[in-house]
Amino acid sequence: MKLQPPTDSDEAVRKPNFWMMLLLAALVVVGIGALWFLGDPSPRRGGLPRRFDYNLDPYMKIDPALVRYRQDAVVPVRLYDLRAIAVGPDDAIHVAGDRTILVFDAQGKRLRRMDLTDAPRALAVDAQGNSFVAFQNYLLVFNNRGETTAQWESSARRDVFTSVALGDNGDVFVADAGNKCVLRYDRSGKIIGKLAQGDPRNHVPPPVIPSPYFDVAVGSDGLVRVVNPGRHRIEFFTPDGHHETPLDWGSAGMDVEAFCGCCNPVAIALLADNRVVTAEKGIPRVKVYSPEGRFESVVATPEQLGATPGREVETREQHKLLAVDLAVDSQDRILVLDPDAKAVRVFVEQNTKDAKDTKDVKNP
Amino acid sequence: MAEKSPTINRRKFVADGLRVAGAAGLFGAAGLLTMRRGGEPINNLWQIDPNKCVACGNCATHCVLDKSAAVCKHAFRMCGYCNLCTGYFEPEAAELTTGAENVLCPTGAIVRTFVEDPYYEYTIDEPKCIGCAKCVKGCIAFGNGSLYLQIDQDRCMHCNECAIAVACPSEAVRRVTAETPYLPKDGDPES
Repeated sequence: MKLQPPTDSDEAVRKPNFWMMLLLAALVVVGIGALWFLGDPSPRRGGLPRRFDYNLDPYMKIDPALVRYRQDAVVPVRLYDLRAIAVGPDDAIHVAGDRTILVFDAQGKRLRRMDLTDAPRALAVDAQGNSFVAFQNYLLVFNNRGETTAQWESSARRDVFTSVALGDNGDVFVADAGNKCVLRYDRSGKIIGKLAQGDPRNHVPPPVIPSPYFDVAVGSDGLVRVVNPGRHRIEFFTPDGHHETPLDWGSAGMDVEAFCGCCNPVAIALLADNRVVTAEKGIPRVKVYSPEGRFESVVATPEQLGATPGREVETREQHKLLAVDLAVDSQDRILVLDPDAKAVRVFVEQNTKDAKDTKDVKNP
Repeated sequence: MAEKSPTINRRKFVADGLRVAGAAGLFGAAGLLTMRRGGEPINNLWQIDPNKCVACGNCATHCVLDKSAAVCKHAFRMCGYCNLCTGYFEPEAAELTTGAENVLCPTGAIVRTFVEDPYYEYTIDEPKCIGCAKCVKGCIAFGNGSLYLQIDQDRCMHCNECAIAVACPSEAVRRVTAETPYLPKDGDPES
């Protein structure tokens, strides 16, 4: 069909009316202004008013000035269910998960793999390379060649072992969330004491452990740090069980200085000078406190650990962000075992090394 | 003498007919019941699968009832009985008291009861609960996830097409049998 040239009457239809356009522009401006004035026009969840929202976004943001660590490397860990991390001789990184222990060198290169017959819950490695691996209700001791040298049983029913820490004089401290106490083993596997079990005669209750996160660490001063998650506190004990209450510290709150939620921190580790590295769940964040409990800095922000802004609180267990575990090596690098990223994140203090991009370590 | 033949009047005919029909109905019903007991139970009730629920809030607003049939339930076996319960308190509650300004539930449907220091029990006042799932999110964000939504079978209208199921973004609402009308998160039917 041949196109006809436009006629005068067509031009009249197409020519925009100046006043009409001005009116439309004014209406658009008024509309945008009204929406801005009346607030967020986006629909609320389920059509409910704003007061029915549960929003943790404001707490996920961390002041960048508080972050004094940077991620130096990410070591991928090819396991499905990552449980625990520890550092051995030569800063070798030991990771327990599934029914396996993987050992990496300090740079993240995989050295060896140890297969287990049960699911590990926690582990610690001594200076000679002996590994103390806690399962739900017993411990296995492996030498530095990965051979089993001992099996230690527990003393009670309902055990849920959640952490292992080594003392200087050969003591092995095992946190038992099921029985709400810390067991003290000697190197022969004999239980020689219990810490943090409360004192009913003096109305001192045992630790409050609402969920299976109950960590223990031993400082260079010989004192045992025990997390009391339900009270948001780090508590101090002598190896023979005396509670050094004046040294306890910690408080509940959503601020970065405090421990958030019902029960935190979920994990602790100690730097060489006994400063305390803590990890929280709910608002996933890793922080450093002075030995006396004064907040110093943030190591890993919620965003680095997967809690991106605008992310809805996840109610499905299989989609929830999992709690991280911590370890510190001889160079005071902080190792964060991230079960969601299935990796070990290595953090260094920003003033100890020149700033450079994160290295992704590749393992076969 | 000739034998008198029995007479059947209309009244007797109708009465006999009704007896026969009644007996047949009785036998039929018994037969159906026998078959029903031997067969598979029928999925004829709606319920929320707590492992799939994303606590979106649609249950509160999409049920055909004015007050939704979906309500919060509490799995006591999973609960930590925390003093600072994040399903009960606002994230930044000024005090851990039952003051309305500290409490998370917009309808005040959770009751906090002291057990022993430092433990508290939390129960749902179901007539007040509208199923908004705000507490569900608060509980699972930090705690064990012992608060969860269920459809109250005593209030559910058992619609052929459940409006909540249609609106559910995670397909968490599904048919269940009358033998297992609830899907308790801790496996405890008393929850």
